[in-house]
Amino acid sequence: MADKSKPTIALTGATGFLGSHLMSSMLLKGYTVIVLGRSTKEEPLYERISRLLRWFGIENRLNQVTCVDTDLSQDNLGIENEEYSRLCSVVGSFIHCASDTSFSESKRDKVMAANINNLKGILEFSRYARVNFFHYISTAYVAGLSENVCKENLPVTNSFTNVYEESKAGAENIIAQYCDKNSINLSIIRPSIVYGDSQNGRSLKFNALYFPIRSVQSIRDIYLNDLKNNGGKKALKNGIYIDKEGYLFLPLKIYLPKEGDLNIIPVDYFVNATIKIIENCFPGGIFHLTNNSPTRMTTLVKYYEQLMKVRGVEIIYGKSADNLSRNPSEELFDRFIEPYRPYLSDNRIFDRTNTDLVTGNLNPPEFTYEIFKKCMEYAIRVNWGASIFDN
Amino acid sequence: MKNNVNKTDNGQTPYETARNCRHYAMCKIDFLGSGVCDSGLEKHFVSYYPQGRMILYEALVENKIPITEKCVEIADSCDLCGKCDYQCYFLNEMRPTKVMEALKNHVETFIKEGGKIKPPKEDRMLTEIKIIVGENWATNDEAITITYSHDLSSISDPKIPDYVVMPDTKEEISSLVKLFNKNNITYTIRGNGQNLLGFAINEGVIIDLNRMKTIEFDEKNWLVKVGPGVAAFDLQKQAQKRGFRINAAEPAALVCANIMCSGIMSTFSTTYGINADNIIDAEFVNKEGSIFSLNDISSPNLYSYKNLEHKNSPGICISASIKLHPVTDDESGILVPFQTLENALDFIKDCAIRHIGLALGIVGTEYISVFLSPTKKMASEIKSIFVDKLNIHWLVVVIGDKYAIRTIGEMGFPFFDQNLFNSLYLGLPSLKKAQWLDLVKELSDDEPYSYLKIKSFAELFETALSPSPALYSQEIDKELRPFFEKLFSRQEMTDLVWLNMYRIMSTRLGRKKPFLPALMYLPIDNILINELSDKFRLIAEKHQIDHDFGFITPIDNGKRCIFEYDFFYDYNDPDDIQRIRKVATEANMLIDDYSVKTGKVKGHPYVLYQGFCRKENLLYS
Ligand SMILES: NC(=O)c1ccc[n+]([C@@H]2O[C@H](COP(=O)([O-])OP(=O)(O)OC[C@H]3O[C@@H](n4cnc5c(N)ncnc54)[C@H](OP(=O)(O)O)[C@@H]3O)[C@@H](O)[C@H]2O)c1
Ligand code: SF4
Repeated sequence: MADKSKPTIALTGATGFLGSHLMSSMLLKGYTVIVLGRSTKEEPLYERISRLLRWFGIENRLNQVTCVDTDLSQDNLGIENEEYSRLCSVVGSFIHCASDTSFSESKRDKVMAANINNLKGILEFSRYARVNFFHYISTAYVAGLSENVCKENLPVTNSFTNVYEESKAGAENIIAQYCDKNSINLSIIRPSIVYGDSQNGRSLKFNALYFPIRSVQSIRDIYLNDLKNNGGKKALKNGIYIDKEGYLFLPLKIYLPKEGDLNIIPVDYFVNATIKIIENCFPGGIFHLTNNSPTRMTTLVKYYEQLMKVRGVEIIYGKSADNLSRNPSEELFDRFIEPYRPYLSDNRIFDRTNTDLVTGNLNPPEFTYEIFKKCMEYAIRVNWGASIFDN
Repeated sequence: MKNNVNKTDNGQTPYETARNCRHYAMCKIDFLGSGVCDSGLEKHFVSYYPQGRMILYEALVENKIPITEKCVEIADSCDLCGKCDYQCYFLNEMRPTKVMEALKNHVETFIKEGGKIKPPKEDRMLTEIKIIVGENWATNDEAITITYSHDLSSISDPKIPDYVVMPDTKEEISSLVKLFNKNNITYTIRGNGQNLLGFAINEGVIIDLNRMKTIEFDEKNWLVKVGPGVAAFDLQKQAQKRGFRINAAEPAALVCANIMCSGIMSTFSTTYGINADNIIDAEFVNKEGSIFSLNDISSPNLYSYKNLEHKNSPGICISASIKLHPVTDDESGILVPFQTLENALDFIKDCAIRHIGLALGIVGTEYISVFLSPTKKMASEIKSIFVDKLNIHWLVVVIGDKYAIRTIGEMGFPFFDQNLFNSLYLGLPSLKKAQWLDLVKELSDDEPYSYLKIKSFAELFETALSPSPALYSQEIDKELRPFFEKLFSRQEMTDLVWLNMYRIMSTRLGRKKPFLPALMYLPIDNILINELSDKFRLIAEKHQIDHDFGFITPIDNGKRCIFEYDFFYDYNDPDDIQRIRKVATEANMLIDDYSVKTGKVKGHPYVLYQGFCRKENLLYS
């Protein structure tokens, strides 16, 4: 139950993937958490949080949570004056984990509003509350396009892969300046790409790592159906068939600009490391939660060929898919993975000096087939998230 | 005589099926190419068509009329060929043949049990009418007059006429009018009874114009002259054979009747116009029985328009010369999806202003699901897929030549082209099970419908849905399935151009429940249209009547549009009828209010008898 010696944490983004995991672990550790979140049209905030705690199997910790409906874009975060003052008086530390995580340029205004404009109210709240620490959940990719070795420093580049990276880098600088000016202790936590729990495969979000696999599964199912139920004319036209061992041969060339890896960490590592940082960090610290043994796409392909009983997937480095003739599955696949392509052949090295120091060399596990299998089986079981809260 | 309680396949008794006949007269046209009831074609009175037999059977079960000589003839002349099952199932999921069987049994049993058939009752007036039109073409037999007691709505109470007459020439009509004037007898003109406001039903005499089916093409003058008994579907077919197109109303509506009642409008009105835009000339028999034509210098000014007032009829329209429109061989249809009505409205306005496309119309997903689905059940399942999985809330139908379609692509709007539409349509049952749609939805989260921009999406879509006439027909009644499989192998059945020209699907709208449309002309103004939709919704909710957005078609270079909002009711439920009457009154009052308040909204009911007006007079004066 609540541990009075621990500071009360104000947390944004608690309804999201990382925020909810963080909330869950902090509750188990005895923290009291004030969730600054949003209700949806269908569900009030309190119900959303209760549903998540049920998913974590810790509904009994609901009494350690206070849910406050907020609008981060409004003065006083859209909270009534009296309640605002009361919250300022009880909050010990602030974790800002809310973020618009869309990569799409068409959503630039929305992303910038959520990730940059909303900072004003959050930072003012932290100043009024005289928080011990302001922890900002950022991303390792604020490094943008230019660097090869990414230091645990504030970002300097102006060229980014997408609007999301740009907004997160901009936010880091704004937050750092504000905290510096107002003597607020700041830590910036930068995970790379986060997948499900390495122990049990559970996850709440199925993008990034999951998307290419889900795409192949969809394409595979379309052609399997054609082969099994419709004579397979379309499949054969595209050189797709079931081989002697029962594998679907699905010619799928994945073009990647260069050789490189996918830097992924499991959510359990993210949570453990973040809590260590929150409990042990020093003011101004920036922390990379990245994997020193990133995963090759060729390894991933091997994994999913094995799991999905598919063959024919080929990685080709150094060319762009733009001007090549693509078969229908390749075209669809290209489209599906387009936003993630830059992260699939990454060879940046992330400095982890600060992280290793405060987490006592806590490292993410290597992405093995066993972990992969657990994660994908869970994803398929919950239909890539569609039936995650059923029952 | 007891109601035949043998249930038909859809769980209805023949009596229930008969009571649910929508009176759309679709069984009078060969819209499926499966033929029309032979006895109807021979005898012409509606009574000899499936629709008439449905009304007759209902009346017999309810003991409204005795068994007469014509009743026996009507029952006997059905050979249970089953053609009407195809037609009626296609539109309403009903099987009239069971009703026909019940009707025959009813009459046979009556005769077997020694019942006395009521002989005809000649009177002086009938004799005089017969002198004009001939022995076979006038009657007061109740088995026939009862079948003229309905139109397709229940807004007005049914009325049984004393006589039904079927003249063949304008001279006969002129003589009839003079005879009725002399004897002070009310007469009412009837086409296919498609009027919603009770103007095709009355006591006195019904003059049914269905024998006057002449169609004369004058290609050098780009016109076709039609008799008053020609249905839009039949005229369009003849025009298409010669390489032309006409601006056609609902397929079973008679062309002349339609002009008289409402003026012709369709999605093609975007370019072909409305009302006088499509009429070159017309002939009338006036109230005194004299014949005049629209082009006569001395003819009344039918081009004028009076708003908020009902004009009197100028007479009986006995022919109309309609414009023929050219057709190019590169026309095709597309469906452009939208998430909001506002965006769809902006799109059609832009297209209309820039003269892109021949025909344009916005429909909601409810309607498109109903139009495309062979059964009610599938329609409701498909709707949620459109909305939840494909994120499609509105669709704009565009018919255009290759340049128009290419331009829409260049404007950046992804769309379902004819190929994708084929797959979507004949693959509907697979859509229900398609898990990969979830991914497609996520794919287009950032850019709506971007999946349609994938070059080979059409091929994948086809592979995934495995569309085929057999798949499409799998939920259709087993005995009818082979017919439908063959039907849907025919190219025109999935051709968006053909479907928009002939409009055979729109009748499916009444499959669940009959509907009453509120129609108006107004600017393509998002705020105004949303305001009106909201108010129609509130009216419907107040009276607990189902309702939905109908369609919007831009006209006159995008300066105005035709807007239909629909109200659904059960016409076998007296309470529902009371409610729909109130809804109709309030909806019309609302339109009148807006007409006065804005000076830009024109209610469609006032077009009655003003269908020949210039659109400029209607829209802008
Ligand atoms: N997941 C990863 O792989 C990853 C990797 C690196 C860094 N990160 C960072 O980690 C943080 C959490 O990411 P996530 O994957 O957990 O994201 P997520 O699942 O998309 O959750 C986003 C959270 O932010 C909230 N939010 C978004 N827009 C908001 C707005 N305008 N106002 C208020 N709240 C808003 C959401 O609230 P609603 O539920 O109400 O929408 C939700 O709680 C982010 O800062 C992200 O940049 C994530
Ligand atoms: S079954 Fe009878 S009513 Fe129906 S089309 Fe055939 S002949 Fe006409």
